[in-house]
Amino acid sequence: MFRLQSSKVLAVEMTGDAVKAKNGSMVAYDGEMAFRKLSGGGEGIRGMVTRRLTGEQMTMMEVKGQGTCWFADRAAEINLVSLQGDRLYVEASNLLAADASLRTGTGFTGMRGASQGNGLFTTTVEGHGQAAIMSDGPAVVLRVSARYPLTVDPGAYVAHQGDLRQSFQSGVTFRTALGEGGGEAFQIRFEGEGLVYVQPSERNTIAGDV
Amino acid sequence: MGFREINPKMVEATVAPGQRLFSQRGAMLAYRGDVTFTPSVTGGQGGVMSMIGRRIADEDTPLMTVEGSGTVLFGHGGHHVQVIRLSGDTLYVEADRLLAFEGTLEQRTVFLGSQGGVMGMVRGQVGGQGLFTTALSGHGAVAVMAHGGVFEIPVTPQRPVHVDPQAYVAHHGDVRNRLSTALGWRDMVGRGSGEAFQLELSGSGAVYVQASEEKL
Repeated sequence: MFRLQSSKVLAVEMTGDAVKAKNGSMVAYDGEMAFRKLSGGGEGIRGMVTRRLTGEQMTMMEVKGQGTCWFADRAAEINLVSLQGDRLYVEASNLLAADASLRTGTGFTGMRGASQGNGLFTTTVEGHGQAAIMSDGPAVVLRVSARYPLTVDPGAYVAHQGDLRQSFQSGVTFRTALGEGGGEAFQIRFEGEGLVYVQPSERNTIAGDV
Repeated sequence: MGFREINPKMVEATVAPGQRLFSQRGAMLAYRGDVTFTPSVTGGQGGVMSMIGRRIADEDTPLMTVEGSGTVLFGHGGHHVQVIRLSGDTLYVEADRLLAFEGTLEQRTVFLGSQGGVMGMVRGQVGGQGLFTTALSGHGAVAVMAHGGVFEIPVTPQRPVHVDPQAYVAHHGDVRNRLSTALGWRDMVGRGSGEAFQLELSGSGAVYVQASEEKL
């Protein structure tokens, strides 16, 4: 069971089951716990090779035991996501923990990843269970529906879930070329049905410079 | 008397004649009234001997004495501040995490090696805290700094708690601490889970843990 101890600390109640968590993110536990590193994100040899090739490195550990385990990472804000058979797309560096029953993998993001400076690939989490994602500042969850598409700054994007199509928008004009851009030259547009997590802070991206 | 939390990163203390406070030097943000700040060479009670003790122990974070009548605001480095109230028990905290404490509390330096022998020394080194820590005892309030806020975990004899040494902030009560290692062959070949060292706290009391693995 995932529970937020505070906005920056995740508490996981365990009764002999296991969770995957970011390597080294445990801050405290009671009861009995065992920690084991998952090579290649616990996705086997294929996962290891894929992650090496795509540069979407993820060092996760498996925590198994009985009791309560608390996780936190550099005072980042934590958001709980529950998955009912749908798929969550998140940057490997923003994934704090997930139920061991959830499958993790690597997905292709296309131009969005490139504009974020995160590479062309992202991490996917799918199945039934809970996951915890991290953001720089409290994240807002924005709903996207067929009638209301959403456009997001690549630097503020954290994760998305559901049946969403994403496209890359560029607002580059001759003004940008002259160095008079508004700082919002690139955006990601989401269409379909789903949720997008946006943080109140922008990572340094090429899009922010032009 | 005591500390009032203005926001998560600032506390307000009231000083009255005859009641003094100790605070980390330079942690005063603002004050109202007639308040004087004097560097406290001896850093609290204990006289010259304990001063030398602290110097040797590298627990000599410069303190100042706050006296007079008025209110003082304390904060430092944008860190979260947690106020812990003591009623007769002892709080163990790292000197550089101490923001301010009331003059009614007795301060002394304790050698960690005495708690758990060799492993106690290793614990100090792993926690990046040196081999000594500061103990405050008596009745009064303490303002402690931490990165990203603090939460409290109760420790009971049936329920020992393990803490990441980097996330450990302070503990109080009758708690024994011991460094436990979960070193396996995986750690030797660089395949560790990053949780090789843990601080095991047992007894009865509480431990304060911060939401980050960064030192101050």
